[in-house]
Amino acid sequence: MIDPVNPSVESPEYPPELARLPPGRHGLPREFVARNQRERLIAGLAEAVAENGYAGTTIAHITRHAAVSRRTFYEHFGSKDECFVAAYDTVMAELRQRVDDAFNEEGEWPQAVRAGIAAMLDFLTAEPHLARLSMVEALVAGPVVIERYDAAIQGLIPYFQAGRKGRSTKVLAGLSSSTEEALVGGMVSLISRRIFADRTGELESLLPDLVEFTLTPYLGSAEAAKVARAG
Amino acid sequence: MADIVKRAGIARNTFYENFSSKEDCFLAAQQFAMSAALRRVVDAAGEIDDWPHRVRAGLSAFLSYIAEEPTLARTCMVDALAAAPSSVRYYEESLQAFVSLFRLGRDVSPHGQELPETLEEALIGGVFWILYQRLLLDDPDQLGGLLPELVEFTLTPYLGAESAHAVASGG
Repeated sequence: MIDPVNPSVESPEYPPELARLPPGRHGLPREFVARNQRERLIAGLAEAVAENGYAGTTIAHITRHAAVSRRTFYEHFGSKDECFVAAYDTVMAELRQRVDDAFNEEGEWPQAVRAGIAAMLDFLTAEPHLARLSMVEALVAGPVVIERYDAAIQGLIPYFQAGRKGRSTKVLAGLSSSTEEALVGGMVSLISRRIFADRTGELESLLPDLVEFTLTPYLGSAEAAKVARAG
Repeated sequence: MADIVKRAGIARNTFYENFSSKEDCFLAAQQFAMSAALRRVVDAAGEIDDWPHRVRAGLSAFLSYIAEEPTLARTCMVDALAAAPSSVRYYEESLQAFVSLFRLGRDVSPHGQELPETLEEALIGGVFWILYQRLLLDDPDQLGGLLPELVEFTLTPYLGAESAHAVASGG
């Protein structure tokens, strides 16, 4: 059993270029500036991608949105791809943190799943640009990001696996080793199809359907529907 | 582009007589594979009246098509996601082609009226995700073994775990 609080899902290593510290770092103020510039570049990329799509985004777009020089860009990132990877990781870390907090706040597993899904939908609804960046543009941003995308989705599996605990042998017999994988795949597919179609506003109304869908294998349809409609 | 014409043994000009771009050619390959797969599913499933077994036959036909054409399947299900937006859109739309096959299950389900509107979309998304993950691992031989779990996964919301399990392990 994987602990849902500390899932042992490995996050891919940063490419060495990203781990490289900005040059000329001699003390806190400078570091603060560098950090600040990096964050601005990441935010700038998110805006530029929302405007132009990943393929249509240039470094000039990013630096304009971030209001920094081209030289500063290259002090932080070797390429547009690298900047995207950093942005993707930032968005996913934030999303994951929110899901985790919401999940852990609930005592009962079915309610925890509901809270976790609700937190994910809230974040994606409130941040439509970041939703698009992480669920749509990520898929066209090259193999490094796709690998991270896959890992992020598979990283949701432990939250559902936690639902096996304490189930009857009869229920457990009905679950296969890939049940959770299919559940997260189905859930993400519903979410990303709506973001892809620019229907991010519909995400929040998916909550009851997603809760019922993901709880059914563990609780049965009737009980899953009850949790889905409560709250 | 050079790789495509070399492999196909055709001239660059011939390529452009048939396709406007690499993306266009990719989309055509995707459409070809998807309609072939769908035809297999419809042929296999259409012969069976009983819905749960029809789903089983359809999934089985889909899996055997992928096992026979692993390279093509990989192109459509793995590479499509990293291709042009037109391909991603087509991939998403192909998922929809399976919706009607599953939706018939609402008629045989004791609680068919109460099932969530998006159930079929989610089930198919789940099945595609599993297949995508297995194709990523480059192990098409494993695919056939997935049949029971995919049948069980897709039938459970309609029939309950017990009946789903019986159809999945039955034959």
